Amino acid sequence: MFRRNNIASRIFQRQIYTPAPGTSVYCARRFYENLVPSCTIYDVECPDQSFRKFTDDGQYLISFSRNQQDLVVYRPTWLSFSCKEEDCDAHDLPPKAKRFESFFTHLYSVSLASCNGNELICKDFFLYVESNQYGIIATSTPSIHDAAANGAAIQGVPYVEKLTFHLIRLEDGVILDVKVFHNDFVNLTHNMGVFLYDDLLAIASLRNQTIHILQIRDSGNLVDVRAIGAFCREDDELFLNSNAQCIAFPDKSKLHQLPGNNVQNGTHLSQPNQEDSLLSGIKQRLLSFIFQGISNEEKDPALRAQWLKKKFYFRFQDYVDLIIWKVQFLDRQHLLIKFGSVDGGVSRNADQHTAFLAVYNMETTEIVAFYQNSAEELYLLFERFCDHFHTASKNSVSMNFVSSHSNNIHALEQIRSVKSKASSQFMKKMLGSLPYSCQSLSPSPYFDQSLFRFDEKLISASDRPRQSTDHPIKFILRRQPCSLKFKIKLGPEAGNADGRTKKIASFLFHPFLPLALSIQQTLFLQQPSVVNIHFRG
Amino acid sequence: MRVVWHLMGSMLGDWPSCDPHNFSKLRRADPSIPSRMMPATYHRTHSRTLPPPDQVITTEAKNILLRHIYRSAEEENDLRPKRAATKHLIPEHGCKQPRATSY
Repeated sequence: MFRRNNIASRIFQRQIYTPAPGTSVYCARRFYENLVPSCTIYDVECPDQSFRKFTDDGQYLISFSRNQQDLVVYRPTWLSFSCKEEDCDAHDLPPKAKRFESFFTHLYSVSLASCNGNELICKDFFLYVESNQYGIIATSTPSIHDAAANGAAIQGVPYVEKLTFHLIRLEDGVILDVKVFHNDFVNLTHNMGVFLYDDLLAIASLRNQTIHILQIRDSGNLVDVRAIGAFCREDDELFLNSNAQCIAFPDKSKLHQLPGNNVQNGTHLSQPNQEDSLLSGIKQRLLSFIFQGISNEEKDPALRAQWLKKKFYFRFQDYVDLIIWKVQFLDRQHLLIKFGSVDGGVSRNADQHTAFLAVYNMETTEIVAFYQNSAEELYLLFERFCDHFHTASKNSVSMNFVSSHSNNIHALEQIRSVKSKASSQFMKKMLGSLPYSCQSLSPSPYFDQSLFRFDEKLISASDRPRQSTDHPIKFILRRQPCSLKFKIKLGPEAGNADGRTKKIASFLFHPFLPLALSIQQTLFLQQPSVVNIHFRG
Repeated sequence: MRVVWHLMGSMLGDWPSCDPHNFSKLRRADPSIPSRMMPATYHRTHSRTLPPPDQVITTEAKNILLRHIYRSAEEENDLRPKRAATKHLIPEHGCKQPRATSY
């Protein structure tokens, strides 16, 4: 079909032609080739805050105060002014339009972290429940490193005294419910340790090695569903405690011979002694699965014992020492869990450590599959079905159309060309992104790789900050004539006089408006960040 | 399957054709007799392929990724040799009992 570039022609064509089945969103998106954020207001005067993101439905801009104590919510609007001159295009925007308030209306501010205590908002963490317009924000006390492990805690993992998740109704800022963790640690950087799928929330506690599954009710309550770690089923703890009681007290006449701290008056034991305890919960499931898999590799029963000795028992302690690093939902029943060593769990360069990925069924409490993080079989699944790893909520229409190498030929060609050059390292690097972090991609149509081509080293749908560049970031039309449509520049034409200071840049794109914020921060210096607004003029 | 021909009024009417025997199946030689030809229809002669009367078609609960993962796991299970089952599959008590051992 002949496609005209002119927007008026496209609108007329839309009146006549019906899109092919299942392509209405993609057809509507083509209009973004004509509506681009080509104008920029540099260094706009705005409140000194940490702008976090636009919510996926575009209703709110989430921001945190610089002191990390308040949540500040804005409504994205659109500037409106009229020009009475004859040739309006030649006129620049009036100064009163070049303000932050022209684009964003302040709705409210909510204090979440108490100024008396030492709690602060984790400004890298925010999750949005689109169906109810709820937001999840976390506050925590400072993390304590080199803490001694006690109880079920893992040695080598830091902890915080108090970590609070707040469920907030963004319409009016009312705190609906909170979930508090004491003496625990959850990695909240870029939503790594928490995954939201529909109304289910998975929180991976690194310190206590437990995956907490919570449900967000429509009423605004956070309800505990299950805790996977030492126990898999809801009644496992009851069974093990009653079992421990039977083991400890086979003959009640011998009560006085048992250690004092395990016995009070012959009644309930809280937990079996750790030194004597068998592996339980998900660790037992995991090791059983590994054992069965290795056992099945050797078909000759006479050689199986030797095979197990070499492949399983020799590495037994390494398997036992595996800890949960990260978790995500694959659907409402299945979790994808990353296991690795203690060092890798808290390290910034986790990719260098060996890790494993397991698929766990919460209902049957079985491990379904187990892969090393460089397994080709897993990579092939990742290449073909990447969209099913990016589990998006059914309620979120926009998140189901984010470009990936499974739904976009250009993205697929790109990774295949890199893969052909360095296969094994590339596979490990790609699988290093699993499990995915929740809500870490922007649904903006400007990142649709069928529409635009851009340098992914400088900008992408991911919300992670990148090293700033003085050169403008170009968005080039993917179709013919492959022309430059718009540029995102972080500074005016003159550039930055001081090229030695390291700067990082982050980009917040509105999900459907031709509106974006670019925020440039200078590292290691207490300078306020520079905020630019990119919009369609 | 059997084919059933029906007669219907000729949609071609009396249009001229180079060979009068063309369209003879659609139009009778005697134009005074109205011909009513309907397109061939096919009727089943057996009920072996009928769906069950209570069949309900629903979407597969597992997504395609999980189906592949489960299928790989089942294929690995099928490849391994089956071990002979033990004689006593069900313990005497009919359920698991904690073992009392002395430490």
